[in-house]
Amino acid sequence: MAAPTNVHAGDGIDPGVFKYLLVAPAVVILLALGIFPLLYAVVVSFQKISLSSQVTDFQGLLNYIRILHDQRFWGAVLHTTIITVVALPIQLGLGLLLAFHFLDDRPLKRIFVALLIIPTVISPLVAGSMWRLMLDDRYGPINQMVGWVMGERMSILWTIQVGLAYPAIVICDVWQWTPFMFIILLAALSNVDQQQLDAAAIDGAGRWQSFRNVILPAIWPVMAIALLIRALDLVRLFDVVWQLTRGGPGSATETISIYAYIRGFQEFDTSYVGAIVVVLIIVLSVLLVTALKRMEIAR
Amino acid sequence: MRAKMMLSMLGAAALMHAGGLAASAEENAATKAVEAAKAYSGVTLNTAEEAGLLAMLGININGPEWEKLTGIKVHVNEIPFEELFTKQMLEHKAASGAYDVMLVGPSWVADFARAGALEPLDAYIDKYGVKAEFDDIAPAFKDWMTYDGKTYGLVVDGDVHLLYYRKDIFEDPTNMAEFKAKYGYDLGPPQTWKAFGEVCQFITDKMAPKTYGAGLINTGYMHFFFSERLRTYGGKFFDADTMKATVNGPEAVQALTDMVDQLKCQPPGVQTWGFGESLSALNSGEIAMTITWPPVARWAQGINADEQALSWVPESQVIDKIGYALPPGGHPELASGFIVSVSSDSKNKDAAYLYIQWLHSKQESLKNVMRPLGLRDPFRISHYESPEFQNLWPGAKAYLATLKTGGEQGYADLAILETYKYWDSMARAVTSAIGGKDPKTALDELATEWDSITAQVGLDEQKAAYAAWAAKPSAYRQ
Amino acid sequence: MNRRSPVVRGIGWYATSAAIVVVFLFPVYWMFAVSLKTPREIFKYPPAWYPATPQFNNFYVLFRDGDVWTIWNSFVIASVSTIIAMVLGVMAAYSIVRFKTGGENLALWILSQRLLPPIAVVFPIFLIYAWLGLTDTYVGLILLYTAFALPYVIWLMRGYIQDVPVELEESAMVDGATRWQVIWRIVFPVARNGIFATAVFAFIFSWNEFLFALVLTRTQVLTFPVQVSQYFGAQSTFWAKISAMSVLGTLPVFFAVAAFQRYLVRGITLGAVKG
Repeated sequence: MAAPTNVHAGDGIDPGVFKYLLVAPAVVILLALGIFPLLYAVVVSFQKISLSSQVTDFQGLLNYIRILHDQRFWGAVLHTTIITVVALPIQLGLGLLLAFHFLDDRPLKRIFVALLIIPTVISPLVAGSMWRLMLDDRYGPINQMVGWVMGERMSILWTIQVGLAYPAIVICDVWQWTPFMFIILLAALSNVDQQQLDAAAIDGAGRWQSFRNVILPAIWPVMAIALLIRALDLVRLFDVVWQLTRGGPGSATETISIYAYIRGFQEFDTSYVGAIVVVLIIVLSVLLVTALKRMEIAR
Repeated sequence: MRAKMMLSMLGAAALMHAGGLAASAEENAATKAVEAAKAYSGVTLNTAEEAGLLAMLGININGPEWEKLTGIKVHVNEIPFEELFTKQMLEHKAASGAYDVMLVGPSWVADFARAGALEPLDAYIDKYGVKAEFDDIAPAFKDWMTYDGKTYGLVVDGDVHLLYYRKDIFEDPTNMAEFKAKYGYDLGPPQTWKAFGEVCQFITDKMAPKTYGAGLINTGYMHFFFSERLRTYGGKFFDADTMKATVNGPEAVQALTDMVDQLKCQPPGVQTWGFGESLSALNSGEIAMTITWPPVARWAQGINADEQALSWVPESQVIDKIGYALPPGGHPELASGFIVSVSSDSKNKDAAYLYIQWLHSKQESLKNVMRPLGLRDPFRISHYESPEFQNLWPGAKAYLATLKTGGEQGYADLAILETYKYWDSMARAVTSAIGGKDPKTALDELATEWDSITAQVGLDEQKAAYAAWAAKPSAYRQ
Repeated sequence: MNRRSPVVRGIGWYATSAAIVVVFLFPVYWMFAVSLKTPREIFKYPPAWYPATPQFNNFYVLFRDGDVWTIWNSFVIASVSTIIAMVLGVMAAYSIVRFKTGGENLALWILSQRLLPPIAVVFPIFLIYAWLGLTDTYVGLILLYTAFALPYVIWLMRGYIQDVPVELEESAMVDGATRWQVIWRIVFPVARNGIFATAVFAFIFSWNEFLFALVLTRTQVLTFPVQVSQYFGAQSTFWAKISAMSVLGTLPVFFAVAAFQRYLVRGITLGAVKG
């Protein structure tokens, strides 16, 4: 589409200025609340501020060196990675299965799809609370149902035991975000050219092969975006874990966000968290750029 | 509607009561506070309180009553226990004056006072206070109110952990005979943690799943419970010479190992229990012992059970069946407890002071420590000796006597610099052991964390603070 | 491919679909059910699967104790920030689309703002807010949520504005309309549905947001997610309040999504999928 050349704003505003005036307020807000805080964090990270000390002396890289030796921080990185690596493929797989199932055009399909969207739009904090209710040892229905299957009362301490806290978190995240994957993939699948599929069928391609050779390439751009959005969400995971375990037992399920929150807002280790924030941004930017390049996502 | 009526009746009763006292020769801190506070009618006080039951007292009872008496509104701000210290400290750093009245745990007084967050109260006490009422405070709790020679707060809550046990089960002749035959000593409230495990197992073997031997608190406040066990086993927090953490010493490991082992004789899922769950289980007759805070006695007895805010607690099935004893080892943790203070950033310091004087006064505090709601516990000699309280239920006299001894014998909470960081770290170590981590590993990690906290705070400064704290007889009770 | 009869397949399809929906909606049902139970029923073992006599006392308590103010706070903060973000966002998007302002770089930079992890931003913002006295104020949260919503709005509106035929604008300008008038008289009405849908999603993001609110509110402007999180305490877990407040906080979102379901895919993929 050709941009109209006669940029006249009217009211005597210089047209060349007008286009910048339009973006200015948004850009100012984003600079003020996006970039400026980050720069501020960089400055703070070289200082020595904590709840007990308001001294703004610079102490060089000391905070960054502390990060290197901070097992709790690296634990948090590991926990975040585990949750992401486990939850993401499950969501994708289940989402794909659902999408194939609902590809059939049948009466009432729209209602089913609409109902399935619900988990995704609920506040993650509420979702976490809901699953706390569901997974409660005594008053929750999950252990009751497990008990029916096993034939005796089961005491499964989902939010207390290290080995179970992860499944609990993953279950909750998968429950909430599988519909997200599903709805996006359904849209993508619906756009796959039926003729291409038919051609693949005539070629005698098996189901798996037609998926790999025809469908996957067709839906990949969309799938990549969905994966990217979800991966970024998982890396900053906070709400659900906060409600389910508060990072416990001990520090066993602390994610990066939770650890930074505790350090920053429960202990006010200000300068140290500043350093964590800077490291986090750098690592994420690198990962993001690499991912974008690898995935060759067209904008 | 009914709640409203009850409130206004309460208010009227308080007025009549106050009037009666004023006529007598004795000065009354509550009446004095109310009279002086009328000058500030229309002001709103923001109070910081622990979220949940504690805050309900301010929201449902004290706040409305104070407003009725003085025209001063009370706005209660609920803060979860884990964030009480930092949030209030932060408001001070921001000089926001967000809270006029602060809720301060004894372990935090030093940090707050050094930061200048608390208004010294001595001048206000001279102006409005009643000296005689100060002599009435039990020494263990009076100790909390001062730092460096100045008064920074008034006690409103004297916490002592108690062991609650089911008298009917412990005094059952068959049980007594069988227990004696099996273990060679008399069945009774356990004196040691080893005995605790044995009694617990004995009852569980016999009566579960109807009743289990014990149901302890396992989520929330875990540093209190472990601090108590650690010291009962002979462990210490630090090496006084080097300030290295000794929380992974053999005593500590044994204490934590036993703590985890003893989960086995407790109901399935006890690992998820907090204060409320333990209380519910005691009330419904599901457990024969627990160790918890003093209000539980009133609750299990069904005192004020008709109050709406208490409706979530199951009705007590164990009225008159509960006995009171000191926890194993005989040195209960004086777990937290609270003083209330005036924020140095408050814009209504006089009104704020008068409100806390009223809460702390002999007359008002007695009412508060008698009800379960609000979790306020006796801290005055006159509470222990109050005929009204002693006759509140048949066991009340024994309860008050146990509380009094507990206060005299109890372990003070660790109170050094930035104590909250050590607490948080300890609580995480304990919950990870409960969640299945090897106790020794958990405690080794704890010791490492403590050492790095000490290094951050400043080793020499912390060493001095620890020496001052450890010199108190209540620190280790040799 | 499939040898079974279409009828059997149809029944199978509906049965499977229904089962899937039941599995995914059961937790939501459970939350509603708990909110209508009496305290005694909530703490019943084994748990009751439906309230014997549904009652609204759990909700009444929230009104009585003033907890519902947090819903109002959420509403004010989410609506005002959404309105501001929409106005500024549409302006910026228009400029980016029609004048190619800032080229690709500006658009990408704006998108990158959306990808920042909140924890990284909120920490320094907290320090700055404390310094400016903006913590625990409507203004503080509204500003932050506006900034949070802006990249999303701009990115989505870019797509919707591209869909507005340039010819319409040109003919209006030939008739003497100024650019400013074109934006409000042509673009707004034509892209109306897209604008509403975008606004609804921006609203939901702000409404559901937890971490910023947790950090930046104390007492005055608590939003409902923060309130819910506070019912999990060391003393006890207040299931009745948790469920009732969660229900109150979820209902508006249900209505919003029911109304704008058609735009959902485009909304949640930042416009990458037109749906």
